[in-house]
Order: sequence, then structure tokens, then C-alpha cells
Amino acid sequence: MSVAMGQKPFVVITYETTESNKTGSWRFLKPRYQDKQSPCSAGCPAGEDIGMIEMLARQGLFNEAWEMILRENPLPGVCGRVCFHPCESVCNRKDFDSPIAVHTLERFLADTAAGKGLATTPQKLPKRNQRIAVIGAGPAGLSAAWFLSMLGYPCDIFEALPEAGGILRWGIPEYRLPLAVLQSEIARIRSQGVHILTKKAVSSESFHELRRSYSAVFLGCGHAHGAPLGIAGETPESVKDGLDFLRRARQGERPLCDGFSVVIGGGNTAVDVARTITMSGGNAAILYRRRREDMPAFGDEIAMALEEGVGLEELVAPSAIECHDGRLRLLLRKMKIKGRDKDGRGRIVFDGKKTVKKVVDHIFAATGATAAELWYSPPLAQRGVIGFSHCVLLLEEGGAPVIYGGDLTNEAKNVAQAIASGKQAAMVLDTYFERGIDEIKPRLEACVVGDGPALSMEAYLGGPRGLRSSHLVQYAEINTDYFQNETRVTQPRLAVEDRSRSVNEIELPITAETALRESGRCFNCGLCDECDNCYVFCPDAAVIRGQHMENRHINYDYCKGCGVCFTECPRHAVIMGEEGS
Amino acid sequence: MKQVLEGNSAVAEAVRLARVQVISAYPITPQSHIVEVLSDYCATGKMDARYLRVESEHSCLASLVGAACGGVRTFTATSSAGLAYMHEMLHWTAGSRLPIVMAEVNRALGAPWNIWSDQTDSLSQRDTGWIQLYCEDGQEVFDTTLQAFRLAEWVNLPVMVVMEGFLLSHTYEPVDIPEQEEVDRFLPPYNPAFKVDTKNPFTVNSIAPPSIYMEIRHDNAVAMDQVPERFDDVEKEFEVLFNRRYGAVEAINCDDAEIILVTSGTITSTARLLLEDLRDRGEKVALLKMKMFRPFPVELVCRALKSAKKVAVIDRNFSSGAGGIFLQEVRAALCNRQDRPLVFGYVVGLGGRDVTKAVLEEIYKATKDGDVPSDKSVWIGLREVKHAIGR
Repeated sequence: MSVAMGQKPFVVITYETTESNKTGSWRFLKPRYQDKQSPCSAGCPAGEDIGMIEMLARQGLFNEAWEMILRENPLPGVCGRVCFHPCESVCNRKDFDSPIAVHTLERFLADTAAGKGLATTPQKLPKRNQRIAVIGAGPAGLSAAWFLSMLGYPCDIFEALPEAGGILRWGIPEYRLPLAVLQSEIARIRSQGVHILTKKAVSSESFHELRRSYSAVFLGCGHAHGAPLGIAGETPESVKDGLDFLRRARQGERPLCDGFSVVIGGGNTAVDVARTITMSGGNAAILYRRRREDMPAFGDEIAMALEEGVGLEELVAPSAIECHDGRLRLLLRKMKIKGRDKDGRGRIVFDGKKTVKKVVDHIFAATGATAAELWYSPPLAQRGVIGFSHCVLLLEEGGAPVIYGGDLTNEAKNVAQAIASGKQAAMVLDTYFERGIDEIKPRLEACVVGDGPALSMEAYLGGPRGLRSSHLVQYAEINTDYFQNETRVTQPRLAVEDRSRSVNEIELPITAETALRESGRCFNCGLCDECDNCYVFCPDAAVIRGQHMENRHINYDYCKGCGVCFTECPRHAVIMGEEGS
Repeated sequence: MKQVLEGNSAVAEAVRLARVQVISAYPITPQSHIVEVLSDYCATGKMDARYLRVESEHSCLASLVGAACGGVRTFTATSSAGLAYMHEMLHWTAGSRLPIVMAEVNRALGAPWNIWSDQTDSLSQRDTGWIQLYCEDGQEVFDTTLQAFRLAEWVNLPVMVVMEGFLLSHTYEPVDIPEQEEVDRFLPPYNPAFKVDTKNPFTVNSIAPPSIYMEIRHDNAVAMDQVPERFDDVEKEFEVLFNRRYGAVEAINCDDAEIILVTSGTITSTARLLLEDLRDRGEKVALLKMKMFRPFPVELVCRALKSAKKVAVIDRNFSSGAGGIFLQEVRAALCNRQDRPLVFGYVVGLGGRDVTKAVLEEIYKATKDGDVPSDKSVWIGLREVKHAIGR
């Protein structure tokens, strides 16, 4: 049987490559790789490169991810525990399922590094001639010294108390921030070459001496004392300072809080005080003049406090205190909500003349705090005073420049803002010394993350982060086809019955497996992670992959500008622009 | 061995026995059963083939063009809107001279939605350069599918095996399924005319300027013109092994007939019954079954129809503004012949309406009684319908 084939068909076959057909000439829109800003990084006062940190973490590169945090923040173990994580409230993933648990991952990375006893070798510029004195070893002072030393400046920190840490050491209960965690962060800052001199209180006289013997002074003192309530019958005996109570507890004293205590205030200090009392065997209730949803304290902390038996009374404001048979009678006025404040919270007014009386054993005030000394606070605007987003620089004849940071300088008072002020102060001083006063603002502007005010030290040091576009990636710009709904990690915690005596950390560590999964949820907004979608989809084979991220590029001889790479990029790391623009 | 099989399964068995290497398809009623069976065969290893799931019929055929350029035997199946969606790639396949085989299960095109049988879908692809072979029953569906690979690979042109939705696709009939060794004797492994090779890369169909495009098309035409003869060769080989043949056309009693009915597909079976009845009554009637529509077998058609006085072409399809499509082709084939018969045209059975023996008898009578055929096709069995938009 014949199986002969027919004639060969006439088909156009060419052994010439199609390279002679430079389809790039058809293009009128041009794609370009462009890393952008993720909302979390811009929302982080310390400007951590969160999208990149999670990208490293999900590859199991935990050490590298931790080192990347340290470029912008010397206190990851602290921030992973006590930061109010504004990064999470702006996370684009919240519109998809729920935000990335950035703080949980940060703590995991810090704990993992600490567990391995990792030391860092951060980039350190050559030693400078100028020596800097830092007053106060709280988060602002520690950060200023960390970043200044990174920039080559020898630093001495003067701390009045016997240990460094400031509010972190004395104002936050150990069940939230274990001492060992703080000590390990401080040890690393020391190992960077920073001298911390404890029990070295600086008086207004010795302050002027420092201004003569150092090239500059960073003043990072915080709030040493709680503010008084300002009501009738208030005495040091009847109303105790919440911050002082926490400090004593951290010093190992067993504070007097038997019977029934009330804590006035709605911030973290109020919650910390009430929880510490309950855990020490007392009864405590928080009295707040607004509602629970208006409390500045972390929602999780409030919820845990209530679980542990802390009471909460909303819409009551203290008006007077009377002594009554060895106990205290607290007179409270009922409040009600009427309209809204300019910050969006409900505006409170007296609810007619309604009052409540409470007979209590102790009253703690946690409504605010003040500086121990007037001169700790930055000077008012005047000649020689230059204000920045997180710090204030004072230049005057007859003394070295003084730069103020920390809680007394910042309207928002928290660890992350303190770190931001230390970082900004380091940049301000360095630019002042190296390039002069006029260069400071433009140089800072070049280091802003997204729409600011967070600053990046990596960008300041000329790292690749500085080359990113300032565009903040929006949720709508993420190609969610490439992501699947995944549950956010649940924070493991000690059982309520095991939380006692204010020692054991309540929030428990997560496993590496959980960390891999959680970091894998991150969109890495605006950052190329070499997923190769562009390479796979490009119909012109015009995406050229290098060995490293920087080498990935587009062959414009053949790119027709179809935009498939732009559309299929899950992370919005490709942009399309008019040809020639 | 005879098995009772659905028409769609008959196709799938032929594809399996043809040792097809790449199958790509997108599901559409009434074709889906074919690729359901085949995807199962691929998944379970009953076939050593790659099954490509694609997101559209356009991509389906594009992917097979790529696979066929790689020198493998390829198959797809579709219907109606799916075929319409392939339109661009139908041209490309034929222009590339790739022997892709497709089962095309006739289904009416929308609007409005209709899933039933109607040949307008395949016939509206008549100019795409594909060979089209229409089938009458389940055995013919099986046999034609096997023959299609042999023919396609011989002339380097794609083949559409056409069968009516439900009437063939979903009807169970006894089908003789041969053993693999027998099929292997009929259908040797595919020996491609060209085959891309990553070690010695070349580009297929990059660009053909005006100076060469016409010559390429002419080569295509020459290959198409050979098809009736090559199909006859294929059928001879097939007959030796399997003892069955169909012919590009089948002329029944045409030599002495005054009136010849021209049919395709399942209507032919009904017409065969009518033919017996009419012959018993002494009517000089005959039947011409059209199996091959592309290329249109002009010579065979003219030879079959030359003695008739009248021809009635029955179309289960309709080209608006031109009438039945077989009618146009038959008229065109005859137009330059001396003593050509009068050619009457009838449109029946659109959108799956039954074409019964009574309908065909009505057509026969109308043809017998008619003096001059209408220029247009006559619609048979139209009901009086009051229609209005909305309620």
C-alpha cells in the first residue's frame, strides 16, 4: 500500500531571524520598570522598607530582612511589640482580605535574629571629626546615636537613670516588652560604637558645658511626669501618677494597689496601669470621658484588659475628690456625644447636670504627661530656630547647635515618631556639617518616603531606594488576579488565667512557617519581585532578564508598547508612558 | 467490533485510534462530549496525547497551528459560535498547509439562541480553505474522521468532518470500531512536510510580499483541486481494509431519473426511504448525496445530474440574500453545461426543525409540478406565526 505524501506545500519558511523587523518602531507608549512606594512604608514613621522586608522574609531570608529593618530602625524587637503599626491600617491588602500583620512579622524577625545571636555589620561611613552628645537614652536618643554613628559621628549618650531605654524601660509593662528584648537592642546600639553613660543626669549648667565640648547636642528627653487632673481635692496623695506607678513596677517594687482602683484616661498608659493592677491582684476600672472607640490605646490591649477583668466606664469625667472614711470619693460628671470634633471623633459635652459618685481606694491619672524640666522642650520659633517634621534645630552664637527630638518635639508621641526624630536629627546635623544650612531641606526632601513625612536613611546614603518613584501604589493598581484570599495570622496569646504578676510576655511568638505564610500574603506594592509575568507574557520576547533585579530591562528595539507587561504585573512595578516623555 | 455509540463517541474513538498527539478544544454544545471523552483519555493515559485547555476557540486553533508546525498529528472539535470565533485561524491553518482535523458539529448560529442542528455554521466557512466532508450516520462519522487524517496529511490541507448536532452527535447507533493494528495499517504515523526545530530555527509564514502571495495561494488551489482524486485514493485504501466506501458524492438511481433530489447529512437517510416509496410507485426519481462540499466536486455533480430534467436541492442552511448554499453551488456547477436540468431549491429544517419523509415528498411534488424554478430557495413548512416585540 502506498503511503506516498503529496508534493511539498508552498509555505513561507525563512531562516532569517525576525530580528530585522524592529517592531519597536511601532511603539507610541513605552513601558518602563519603576519601583514605587508602598503605602505601609510611607505610613511607617520610621520609613521601613516593608514591602522589601516581606519579600525577603517570604523567601526565608530572615537575617537579610532583619538587616533591612535595621537600616531604618534600630529597635525592631521593640517596635514589633509596642508600635501602633500605622503601616497596617494603610496596607492595600485590607481592601482584599485583611492587612499584613507587619508588626508580628517584625517581632518575629527581631526575635529570630536575637535567638541566633546575630550581629550586624551595618554600613558605616568613615569617622568624622565632630562628636555628638545625646541627652536621654530613650528611643529618640538611642535612634539619633544609632544613625549618627552610622554616618560616622562618635556619640555619647547621657542618661540620668541607671539603665538606658527611657519610656521603653520604665513606662511599658514587662508583659508587653520583656527586658531582655530591650537590652538586646541596646547592646547592639552599643556595639555600633555608641557610648551610653548612665546615671549621668544633665543639668541646665552641664548642658551648656556639653555645648562647648561637643560639636552638637541632641536633646531627646521625654515626659517624666504625668500631668495633674486639675480638679478640686486633687493632692499627690489622692491622685497618683500612672507613669510613676508603671516605673515603680518596672523597678521591681510591688506597687500599692489593693482594693479598688480607678484609672483616669484612655491611652495606653491608662490601660497598662489598669492591667498591671489587675494582674497584681487588685481591682481596677478605667474611666474615660469619651467612648471606647475613641480611646487612643490599642484596641487589642483594651480587649485583653477587659478579658482580664478590668472595668471600663465611658463618658465620665472626674470633677472632684473627697476623702471619705479613709477611702476616696470621686465625683464624676456624665458626658454625652454631640456632633463631631475636627479630628472626626465625637465631640463630648456635659450630659446636663448628671453626676456619678464612686468610692474607691486609689485614683491614678493617665491623661497626659509633662517634661521634667522646662529647658528640655524645643524653643519657640525665633531667629536661629529651624523646625523640621520631627525635630527642631537651634543655632546660636556661643554654643554648639542643639537639636531637639522625641516626644517633646512631636505632636504624635510614640516610639516610631521618636525613632523618626532621631533619624531626621542625624540627617539634619550631617548635612549641616557637610554642606551647610541651606542644603538641609532639599536633602531631606530627597529622602522622603512616598508623600512623607517618613524619611529613608538608605535613600540618604544614596542606596537604590532613593531611585524609586514617589508614587504611592493604590489598591486599584494591584492586579489581584495573582493573589488569593488568605487568612491573616492570628496572634497567639497566653491564656487569661496564665497572665499574672506582670512578668511573662502575653503575646507569644509565631513559627517560621507562619511567618513565611504571612509575609507571602504581602502584595509588595510597587516592588518588582522578579515574578517573571512580564517575561512570560511579552509577545515580542522583549523582556530581558538579568541575574539581578537591576539588570531586568526591556529591549526597545522590539517592544511594541502593547502594555501586557504593565497589565500583568501583579505589583504595579511597570509603568506606561508616552513615547519620548 | 460493533459497539453502540453516540456519534460524538464515534469521533472520539476515531481520534484515539488515529493516535492524535495534540488535542486542543473549548467546550460548546453539542460538541462537548467529543472532547470530554478525549480529555479523559489523555488524563487516564488511554491516549498518549497532550490535551490543551484554552480560553477560546481562536486560541484553540492557534495552539494547534503551533503544535502542527512542530510536526505532530492534531485534532479539535467545535460547533456554531465556536467555529465562527475560529474564523481568522481557519484561514491561517489552511494557508499554513497544516493537516489539522476538526469535528464540526452543526448547530444553528444566534441570534436567537438555538443549540439544534443547522448547517449554516460550517457552510459560512466555505471560503477558508478547509476541506469539508458531511456525514450521514454514526459509522460514516467514524470512518470519515479516520479518512480525514489520511487525506489531510496527503494534500497538506485541513479537514472539517461535519455532522449534525443531536441528529448525529447525540444519537446512539451501532458503529464498527476496528482494532488499533488495522487502523495503523490504514493511517501511518504523520510524516510532516515541514517541522520546526529549535536546534535549527526558522520562521513559518513570516511575511509574503505581493510578488509571491499569489503563487502561494495558487499552490493552495492546486492542492485543493487534487482533493476529489486523493479522496478517492484514500477511500480505495480504506475499502481494502474495512470494506466500506462513501464517495465524494453518492448517486443513487441517477442514470434514468427525471427528477433528482440533492441532499447532505441525515436528510439523505430520510430521502433514501422516500426514494424507495416513489420508485415503487413508478416515479423516475433519484438521489444525489453530497458528502464533499469543499472542494465542490463539480465534475462528479455534473456527471450525476446530466440526465435529469429537474433537480431539487434541499438545504438545511441559508445564506440570507442568496438562498440555500448547496443550491448556489449546484447551480454554479451546472451553469456552463449543455442541456442542464432546471434546478429548484428548498430551505428546510433550520434551527433543528424535523425534516420528515412528508416534507421531502412535498418537495418532490412541488418540483414535479413546477415549471420554472424560483431564483430563490423556497421555504418549506413555514408556520403562520403572529409575532410581536415584547408582550
